[in-house]
Amino acid sequence: MTFLTPLFLFGLLAAAIPIAIHLIRKEKPPKLVFSTLRFLKNTTKKLVLFQKIQQWLLLLLRAALIALLAFAFARPLFDSNIASLVDAEPESAAILMDVSMSMGYGDRFVRAQDAARDVIAKLAQGDEVAIIAFDNATVSVRELSTDLEGARAFIDGLSAPSFEVTRYMPALRLANDMLESARHDKKTIHLVSDYQASGMGNDDSGWMMSPGVVLDTIDVGVGATRNLLLTDVRSPDQLIENRNEYEILARVRSTGSVHLDQADVRLILDGQETLRVPVDLSETSEAVVRLPAVFASAGTHRGEIRVGSDDFPIDNSYFFTVDVMAKIRVLVVNGEPSTNWYEDEAHWLSLAIGGNAAESPFVLNAATSGEVDATLLAQQDVVVLLNAGSDLSSTQARALNDYVSEGGSLLIAPGDRVNGAAFNQLLGAISPAVLNESIRFANSDYLLIADMDRRHPVLLPLGGDWGVRFEGYWSVDAADGADVLMQFDNGSPAFLERHVGRGNVLLFASSLDTEWNNLPLQGLYLPFIHESIRYLAQATTKERAYRIGSLIDLSDLSREGASVQVTGPSGETIALNQSGNSVTPRQIGFLTVDGGEGPQYYAVNANPEESNLVKMAPSALADSISNPETQPVQSEQVRTAQLVAELEGPQRVWWWVLLLVMLMLLAETRIANTTYR
Amino acid sequence: MAANSTFIDPSILASLDNLELRARVVVEGFISGLHKSPHRGFSVEFTDYRHYYQGDDMRHVDWKLYARSDKFYIKQYEDETNVRSYVLLDSSASMAYSSGGMSKLDYGRTLASALAYFITRQRDAVGLITFDDKVNDYIPALCRQPHLIRILRVLANLKAGTKTDIVKPLSDLASNLNRKSMVILISDMLEDEERIIKTLQRLRAMGNDVIVFHVLDEAELLFNFQEATEFVDSENSETFITSPASIRDAYLENLNNYLSYCKKKCQSSGVDYCLLNTSQPLDTALYSYISRRAKSF
Repeated sequence: MTFLTPLFLFGLLAAAIPIAIHLIRKEKPPKLVFSTLRFLKNTTKKLVLFQKIQQWLLLLLRAALIALLAFAFARPLFDSNIASLVDAEPESAAILMDVSMSMGYGDRFVRAQDAARDVIAKLAQGDEVAIIAFDNATVSVRELSTDLEGARAFIDGLSAPSFEVTRYMPALRLANDMLESARHDKKTIHLVSDYQASGMGNDDSGWMMSPGVVLDTIDVGVGATRNLLLTDVRSPDQLIENRNEYEILARVRSTGSVHLDQADVRLILDGQETLRVPVDLSETSEAVVRLPAVFASAGTHRGEIRVGSDDFPIDNSYFFTVDVMAKIRVLVVNGEPSTNWYEDEAHWLSLAIGGNAAESPFVLNAATSGEVDATLLAQQDVVVLLNAGSDLSSTQARALNDYVSEGGSLLIAPGDRVNGAAFNQLLGAISPAVLNESIRFANSDYLLIADMDRRHPVLLPLGGDWGVRFEGYWSVDAADGADVLMQFDNGSPAFLERHVGRGNVLLFASSLDTEWNNLPLQGLYLPFIHESIRYLAQATTKERAYRIGSLIDLSDLSREGASVQVTGPSGETIALNQSGNSVTPRQIGFLTVDGGEGPQYYAVNANPEESNLVKMAPSALADSISNPETQPVQSEQVRTAQLVAELEGPQRVWWWVLLLVMLMLLAETRIANTTYR
Repeated sequence: MAANSTFIDPSILASLDNLELRARVVVEGFISGLHKSPHRGFSVEFTDYRHYYQGDDMRHVDWKLYARSDKFYIKQYEDETNVRSYVLLDSSASMAYSSGGMSKLDYGRTLASALAYFITRQRDAVGLITFDDKVNDYIPALCRQPHLIRILRVLANLKAGTKTDIVKPLSDLASNLNRKSMVILISDMLEDEERIIKTLQRLRAMGNDVIVFHVLDEAELLFNFQEATEFVDSENSETFITSPASIRDAYLENLNNYLSYCKKKCQSSGVDYCLLNTSQPLDTALYSYISRRAKSF
């Protein structure tokens, strides 16, 4: 509702005048000593009650009369009427509906639908409207059309918000493109959103809307927010059997504008709640919770950490999987065995992987080159060639090639006893590198590690400074299809990887004892060996948890043409991507993938970015993308004010008439109160 | 009051401070009007002579007998009926109420003095009892001029008291009356009317003539107040805030029920009931008295 002369609304205060008169008069009724009250008090209570009601009614009527007069002075106009006058110009509109995950907070999505319906309701016959539902991409589109009923039905048909993050720019660009071909000159983008600050992403393109296109911001994210969030969860992705108790760390944070100081964190393993821990956030906004977990059996376990309850429950759960595996069987083929430990090529490696047999996740098997055969290889998860390879027979070499091709893993560390030519001939099909020559420095010269792929799973947890001195090494060239993971400071590859068939091979271009380098004497040695063997044994693309929209590689399962069935958290079947060996999750929870060898579970979580409910100013967005060539558009308020002035000017005499009536009424109230009470 | 009435308006009477004068004005006016009235029921009969003694009123000397006997003889008269009347005047706080003219007490005082004057003038014996919640003054019934003066003095000095208890003086009187009398009650009767009526009925049953002058102020009868008012009870100081206009009908209905009850019960018991408005002259009261006396004696 709009008022032509809103200042007169102050006149509503005059409604208090009869009440004030009543109260003032009420305090001083004249006293009269009368002979008896018996005939007064015998008047029925009903009569007195009626009298009171009558008086109150009279008082209310007088107050209401004055209030209505003030209301009439203010000249009310219904919005629909004024809107029809103001918005007479035909319009082409694009409604952008934010359906990202944050719109699931409270009733934002419902309010967004209502706001969109309001926009449609204000459009006139002949106006055209397009609707774009978006999150980080366009979810659904309705092209420009004059069918307003259809647009309304489209809004009604929008389902619940997605689990994706918000990105404004793609949708704004699309809406802008659609409006460029619109038929009317008045072009407006109505952006209905919670205006999450993270929705701008890293866009710094300076893109602006076309001239003539106006952005109308409709904010449905106003008000206080209460949200608990699991900002980080540290859970193991793969465990070795017999190490049954692990600790899972969960970082809980209160991120809403209203702080929540108490919460419960629950650990749910394989669908059963196993632990509930209270969290006190009264003094801090973030707390780390330690959750001991027991994984009794080998296989994949599904875990969920759930925190408290708030107005945004979507991000209250974190899903993960834990693969518990048996001990890794490692066959060490020693090319230079010796009874003297300092001369034994496998001494340091054996210490690293088999030093504490009970606690070690590895089972160490030792063999010489002559003992290698297909039967022995078939019983191993990883084979390590230490200063060996060139001394294998062709049969042994073929068995090793087959072993790798069929999924076996191999770690090669050539030393001084390896013949490069023979090595290349025997193992060239599987080796990540072609051995050129072994180089041993004199005069205390040495090489250092100069570069490495820190994102590789083996090197990722190591980091640190590799201050290892290499006095001897193999000069190698990377084989076809091999990746160089580390380089010496002379540019020669130091660590390489090659996928062969279903198997994987790593080659370290130096020895793993102290003969050519001092690596075994470094703190990095043991984790390097462990990570390398663990990686080779459990090489998989599976992670403990994926995020919404990420690509889950199922090539391991879909290999050999097996039919792969993917089922979503709600039990619905999910189609594979076009490549046929991957899937992109759109819901949080567990995906169940069945490639014929039993179900595999993949945990999917929401992007924590979307849980950050910090807002940006809608006007800031409008200012940043509005085209300076666009004529400044007067706001509805300004246009309404102008219309009001046009309507009001010629008929201002009514003011004085109503003022006179009001004064007369006040006089009547005053006189009536003093004479006829 | 009619414009040609010979009776004095109570508001003028109120300006007369001397109660005897006020009583005389009322009674003489009333009697002069009475000549025109068919109701002549009183006279004084001659009975005997006695010798003149110094101080006797020369008007009562029988001059014809003196001419025959050359001796002074005084005519002696005898009361025709030997009526004894008791005037009971309520002097409670409620009787002090006045809406502008005479208060009910003043009106009752004037009526009582007029009746005493009138009764004495007829050589009937008259007594006076004033009371509120107790008997304040008791003057036995006698028929002498100095006795009238005493009554008038008591009435002149009468002040409004506190609460009302009409039953007590009436009961006391009933106990002490040993011969047939006339009992005149002047009161606003703002008490338990059932008890009052029962006591009056008892007096009546003993053979006494009973006249009730029910005195009320015009404001009490009409309740013509306008503004919202806090009414204070004159006898118990209770308060009641109301807008009179809105409850006037209910008030008048209550009052009329009360008055109808009093009138009906009195009439059915042989008690003369006379409602008096303090703004009206006193003739109505005196007519009532004469009428009752004529019927009874």
